[in-house]
Amino acid sequence: MPLHNEVASVLPLALCLIPAALALVTYPLTRAARALGPALNLLGSAVATALAAALMAHTMRGDVLVALGREFRADALSAVLVLIISFISLAASIYAISYMRLEPLLGRVAHEEGEERAERRLATFYALWQAFLATMLWACLTNNIIVLYVSVEASTIASGLLVAFYWDRRALEAAYKYLMLLTVGIAFALLGCVLLYASAAPHLADKTGPAAMLISDLPAAAAAIPRSMALLIMACFIVGFGTKAGIAPFHPWLPDAHAEAPGPVSALLSGVMIKMAIYALVRTLGVFFPIAAYHPVSVFFIGLAAFTMLLGGIMCLAQDDLKRMLAYSSVSQMGYIAAGLGIVGLGFGRELGYLAGYGAIFHILNHALSKALLFLVVGAVIYVTAGRRISQLHGLGRRMPATAICFFIAALAISGVPPFNGFWSKLTIYFAAAEARLWWAFGIALATSLLTLIAFVRAGFRVFWSEGDYPEPEPARENGEQQALSDAAKDPLEGDAPVAMLIPMVVLAVLCVVIGVFPNLAYPIIDPAARALAAIF
Amino acid sequence: MLNAKLIETLSLIMIITSLVAVETHNLKRAAAAYCVQALLVCGLILAFAAANPALYTWAAVALVTKAIATPWLLLHYVGKTGVREAKAIIGFGPSVLIASLLLITSYTLTHRYVHFLAPTAEAAQGVFRTNLAVSMTVFALGLYAILSRRDAIKTVIGLCLLENAIHLSLVSLAPHMRETALVGIATEVVITVALLLYVIAGIKEQVGTTDTFELSELHW
Repeated sequence: MPLHNEVASVLPLALCLIPAALALVTYPLTRAARALGPALNLLGSAVATALAAALMAHTMRGDVLVALGREFRADALSAVLVLIISFISLAASIYAISYMRLEPLLGRVAHEEGEERAERRLATFYALWQAFLATMLWACLTNNIIVLYVSVEASTIASGLLVAFYWDRRALEAAYKYLMLLTVGIAFALLGCVLLYASAAPHLADKTGPAAMLISDLPAAAAAIPRSMALLIMACFIVGFGTKAGIAPFHPWLPDAHAEAPGPVSALLSGVMIKMAIYALVRTLGVFFPIAAYHPVSVFFIGLAAFTMLLGGIMCLAQDDLKRMLAYSSVSQMGYIAAGLGIVGLGFGRELGYLAGYGAIFHILNHALSKALLFLVVGAVIYVTAGRRISQLHGLGRRMPATAICFFIAALAISGVPPFNGFWSKLTIYFAAAEARLWWAFGIALATSLLTLIAFVRAGFRVFWSEGDYPEPEPARENGEQQALSDAAKDPLEGDAPVAMLIPMVVLAVLCVVIGVFPNLAYPIIDPAARALAAIF
Repeated sequence: MLNAKLIETLSLIMIITSLVAVETHNLKRAAAAYCVQALLVCGLILAFAAANPALYTWAAVALVTKAIATPWLLLHYVGKTGVREAKAIIGFGPSVLIASLLLITSYTLTHRYVHFLAPTAEAAQGVFRTNLAVSMTVFALGLYAILSRRDAIKTVIGLCLLENAIHLSLVSLAPHMRETALVGIATEVVITVALLLYVIAGIKEQVGTTDTFELSELHW
């Protein structure tokens, strides 16, 4: 294996520090700076996207960027994740300018607690958003196994209050489950990280120093770790990071949190946060990929992934709440990504590993685009109608044509229908499953795609197409989001969502179509990442 | 060099405090038991510090985050939400029995088959073995509290026990870990606990109870 060309660079540090600094600037903002919150949020996401693109330009040339004595390390795989996270945050932050306007959303708070409190809360919202962005980027860029745990847990902390933003019964319940389940889950990951660090340390050159904590050094020592210890470590990682990634049966927090958070935050949670978790899982579990004796663990993981797909697909079909339907669909799609990554473990260092890795990373990109788009679309539906139950919505297509088109593009993309982007990544994962002769996984994946298609077409047909009057505001207002919006909308909105919300939706939809029609456009960024993942150079 | 008797005595009291924290229905008393336990964690780390001076920093970090900040937060929020714990899923008698059985099984297993957990030969011997066995037992008790209690504050206390256990296990597992990483881990636990309690206080305000069984808006 040729050595990577490691180049010292400030890019990885800047990517983490700029959003973190903006969070600190945004938090104390008050009255006079009311308009600055969303602007700073937009700025942070835009700068992060630009830096991520610069990082990508380096890694595409085969460089690996390191900072602070290799504490930060960005290879092609990190770069893909960093670019996706920043870009989705950028799209969602444009959307949030309209969606999180002070007037409608915080009307109730302003009314009950005074305008000062409402403004305070919105400033906190944007500060937490930047902190959340910073922690996610940090997790993808750190090379220290203990700091990996710290950053993943930090992302839970930063997003906990974003989930609870509306501070009503449902949002609080979701936030409680979110914080509790993820913290317990991630405690297992910490145990795994510590055991891995401790058991690898004696087998590395620098025995007691920091070297043993660097993830990139660990594979060299993996073969020397006793089998029972290695299995325990892998189990801890699967439970720990798997909880955060929404792998069944550790997923129950996901539908609650993703459904009750404000729309743009849901797009971040479902679009990128769970991908960051699966990245952490593959980075840590991947330490053992080169060892053929642990192939049964990969097969077990693929089994878990297949269970995740199927369960998510079935639950998705059973939902009446649009946001919960999307959340369960995320569980299901994480199953595809996890299955691909499991096959990488089986075919590590071979063509099979590359193929599966390509499919999994491509699906991370495609699912981020289409799921973020779907949450933004449903957010637009809630914004305009204050309703989110499929059974209570109909005929919105005439009133919101652009939103409807975006919905159908994203729905077909996520179900893996050509010529949209999701088709290609799912196809690659099917091929990998077939080549690995895992026919059961192949069958489950195919069946789940069909379930997803049925669920989305049924929901889309009902909400956008079917005849009927415009929906009445729901009699029992269940959610702070709906309540705030319907309170504010004394005159129900006519027409489609505001332009600032439509722009990011259309951009994401165009990307879904363009990548679907020209899948090779994604090749230059996915190929080096898949090579890095499967160790094929 | 290491005082084995002292370490074993502290470990035993630590297990008892976990049992008290899990089983008492008075949340203030549970918080107090937790505080005693955190002090014991500090004491244990200090006892090990005789062999590894880096551990003095660890003891200081544990004192600030676990023995001072966390109990203060717990007492502050218990004052807001009420001292009586919401009825547990399992009654007092059976629960004490289950917890004791869990404790004995877990301690015996981790003590006898410590090589499953011990990454190095050193960690599998003498006081380091005792330390690992105690950690894993407290971990199991914390998990049991989270799974079997209906009261939200009580589940947070369970979470604190679980995190104490991990913190203590680091003495055997990773005594050479850098202070920055350690401070990161310890601080995050306190922030998470603070956030959880803040959310639970919100639940008390909106729903009128801290009984997690009343949180039934979201299912499926």
